[in-house]
Amino acid sequence: MLNLINSDKRWVRWATFAAGLLLGLVIWEIVGWSFNPAFMAPFIGGDGHPGAGTRLVAFFGDEEFIDSFASSARLFATGFAIAVVTAIPFGILLARLTWLRISLESYILVLYVTPMVALIPFILSIMGFGFWPKVLVVVLFAFFPILYNTLEGARSVKPELLEVARSFRTSELAIWRDVLIPYTLPFALTGVRQALGRALVGMIAAEFFLSTSGLGEELMVASRNFNMASVLATIILVTVIGVILMRLAQSLEQRFAAWRGIEQ
Amino acid sequence: MTQPVANTAVPQPGPLYRLQQKFASTSVAAKIVAGLLILVAWELGVTFFAPKFVARPTNIIAVFPDVITEPEFIEATLSTLFAVLQGLLIALVSGTIIGIAMGRVKVFDRLLNVYINGFYTMPMIAVLPLLTIWFGYEDSARLATIVFAAFFSIAINARDGARSVPPEYLEVARAYRARQRDVWFDITFMSSLPYLVAGFRLAAGRALVGAVIAEFFVSLPGLGMYILSHTRSFAHNEAVVGVLMLAAFGLLFEATMNGVMRRFFPWYRREDRKD
Repeated sequence: MLNLINSDKRWVRWATFAAGLLLGLVIWEIVGWSFNPAFMAPFIGGDGHPGAGTRLVAFFGDEEFIDSFASSARLFATGFAIAVVTAIPFGILLARLTWLRISLESYILVLYVTPMVALIPFILSIMGFGFWPKVLVVVLFAFFPILYNTLEGARSVKPELLEVARSFRTSELAIWRDVLIPYTLPFALTGVRQALGRALVGMIAAEFFLSTSGLGEELMVASRNFNMASVLATIILVTVIGVILMRLAQSLEQRFAAWRGIEQ
Repeated sequence: MTQPVANTAVPQPGPLYRLQQKFASTSVAAKIVAGLLILVAWELGVTFFAPKFVARPTNIIAVFPDVITEPEFIEATLSTLFAVLQGLLIALVSGTIIGIAMGRVKVFDRLLNVYINGFYTMPMIAVLPLLTIWFGYEDSARLATIVFAAFFSIAINARDGARSVPPEYLEVARAYRARQRDVWFDITFMSSLPYLVAGFRLAAGRALVGAVIAEFFVSLPGLGMYILSHTRSFAHNEAVVGVLMLAAFGLLFEATMNGVMRRFFPWYRREDRKD
């Protein structure tokens, strides 16, 4: 028996995995039913104990919820897009201008390790409520991971390549197209993957602490009303979105990983 | 040339270590000039384009000595620091036990891996409303947030560490009929230590963020609340000192961890990428 459980056969692995999921759900269901519904909700649920999973399915038919979702998505997409289109070109520019890179990189590293949440009160106090301050929060959360990783790539560009390019009088455009971008892009994509997770946190933080809206607002309202089924369902939704985005970014990253060459 | 290692978090020097390296190896003058330029740009930009209450370098320097000797500030700092350390300790002990168990016992790994990874990806800020319902609007909610933020990265790294134990060591131990206890402590635990340090470093950063978010959300006395209340009353310069304190914690922690790595695990220092 013990040998069977520990064996590496494919079906054993899958069976244990499925058993783990099932066991988790059963425990969740039991815990959910045995507590007050204001304290914990089961997954499937029933009379008097609304379930989180059931609520999650119901969300897709709820127009108000879809509106919140769309508003969150707009905030996330705008902020993330701004971070990507500013951080990557800036990072590549740092690959081109070595002196600029050397003088700025320490400061970029310091900003990369600073917790950006601490800046939210300043943004609130200076820019007030509205859409753009929230976008700024998302941008701040996403910008530095991308820039930091692009910078790593910028450091890996071989100076010899630039020298050869120069001695053959290569045009600036060709240097960017054939040397700088291929070298830095794979690193930038690693940054993009990291930034996705952070931007998601930034999005919810902005929706909590600046003017409430979107999924953050749904979470707040549900938790104030002790509507545990909705709280849990929203958390699951946010997590699933995070996992999906991360997977997409990972496959994109792997597609370009070959460009990093053998050294990596 | 090193073999590519698939997907495991190999302990490596953190940003601060690189920073120190950079300061040592490249022109310090360029960095100082750039830093001064940034400060001047900040000062002038705020003076001409922003409202009066917005923080600027000269004012921050002016209030700095007062703020760090102020009892309120010291109390807030200690409160946050203490909570973070307490939460990290809880997460470290439980995360290490569960992580190593997962790394060495296949059944645990297959049962728990999906949960550990799922919770790790879960944005901790989304869990905050839930934790305030379960733990109330008090200190324990902050502690729970910190533990939640730190636990999963420690567990994941402990797992990877325990899986990286060279199988020859275990075989030799078995051949010499080593006691089970010695196999766990002297071999498995010891050889996953560098991974634990790496996980702990990651966890510490997340724990600090968790503490600040929890203080914002639950209105607990601490550095996060200090920053929030001072920005609300338009005392931005004082609030910036709070942010600097947070950044200093982050950097100090990085430096300590790098010191530990260098002192105790010098063989794990990866070569820095050549410039």
